[in-house]
Amino acid sequence: MFKIKHFIQQSWLLIISSFCFGLLIAVTNAAWSPRIEQNKIEKLNRLMGGLFTKAENFELETELEVESVRGKKVKSNVYKAVSDAGKCVGWVFNTSGSGFADKIELVVAVDEDFKEITGFDILASNETPGFGDRIKQLKWRNQFAGAPAEKLQLVKIGEAEKIDSEIVAISGATVSSEAVVKIINNSITQIKDQMQKKELISNGK
Amino acid sequence: MANERQATTSLYQETLIAGLWRENPVFRLLLGMCPTLAVTAAVKPALTMGLSVIFVLLCSNIVVSLMRNLLKPHLRILMFTLTIATFVTIADLFLKAFVPRMSETLGPYVPLIIVNCIIICRAEACASKNTLIISIIDALGMGAGFTLTLCVLAGVREILSTGAIWEIPVLPTDFVPWAAMRMPVGAFITLGLLLGLVNVTSKRMA
Repeated sequence: MFKIKHFIQQSWLLIISSFCFGLLIAVTNAAWSPRIEQNKIEKLNRLMGGLFTKAENFELETELEVESVRGKKVKSNVYKAVSDAGKCVGWVFNTSGSGFADKIELVVAVDEDFKEITGFDILASNETPGFGDRIKQLKWRNQFAGAPAEKLQLVKIGEAEKIDSEIVAISGATVSSEAVVKIINNSITQIKDQMQKKELISNGK
Repeated sequence: MANERQATTSLYQETLIAGLWRENPVFRLLLGMCPTLAVTAAVKPALTMGLSVIFVLLCSNIVVSLMRNLLKPHLRILMFTLTIATFVTIADLFLKAFVPRMSETLGPYVPLIIVNCIIICRAEACASKNTLIISIIDALGMGAGFTLTLCVLAGVREILSTGAIWEIPVLPTDFVPWAAMRMPVGAFITLGLLLGLVNVTSKRMA
């Protein structure tokens, strides 16, 4: 009994302020999270526009679930890129996985048959500034534009200009480069399968 | 009575000025070096960082000063960190909601304000021992000193690395930008030179 009394005497301020501060953060978060979500959607639209210059419009086609490398379920929205003539020119989906420091969220664009990657962009990441965050650089991301939409391989030495399934890692940022390749590899095959099952794309036969 | 009032006013003034020059957090106390080096490639992010620090510093100093008589000595650092983390989270959410692009530029450095030594140092050295008014003035002085220093550093680096300030070109177009100034090495060199300059100036003044 004495121990509990002593404990409360010492830490009542801590307990009460933790509760108050928690409440304060919860209120702020509730007030601003719709805006933050809206910002994310706007950014997604901007990035998708950058990946498909010939697309006029993006329509949300389906919401899928992908199992991440660590076995966690990750939600992925698949958007259909439509040209101004109303033709489907490709697909864009968002996906995520763990990076070096924090979660990496990507948008990946593929052509209409899921055969080639058109490109990808970073929706959100917290990689080390100056090292891991070079995954955002266009020079590195360009390696993916035109690469086959199957298992990509990360190599340390190679020709970055040659477009094939070999992706040259950023020196000093192997973990971040690997994370991006893993996320793309993992999600692209699963999404392709699920899209084929739903008969949204032909099964390539 | 008049003397007493004069003494308080001069104490307030001294507290305010201490943060700007005599006890400038970056140049004199050498605190908060991480953001000083990391976000000073351009003026805009530096100013945003400075304003966020002022907000957090002000709020944490107010809260700590109000609860200074209730603090248990062995739990005080825990209370400081808890207070600081709360306000940093709020600042981070604010930036994400209203200036998303700036929030992306600053990246992890906004959440890292939690471990910025300036704030915990002011909570320990000033707010936990002084009245509310002194704590507020101290936060404003220290925050302004930090912000100004960051902006000066960022100004030098931005001019030399892009030929522009606040993204407005100021140097002639045939100026060759010094790419190194945008890199970490530019931050170290500029900070070192400015520190030397401040030391020489303060020795001359003394």
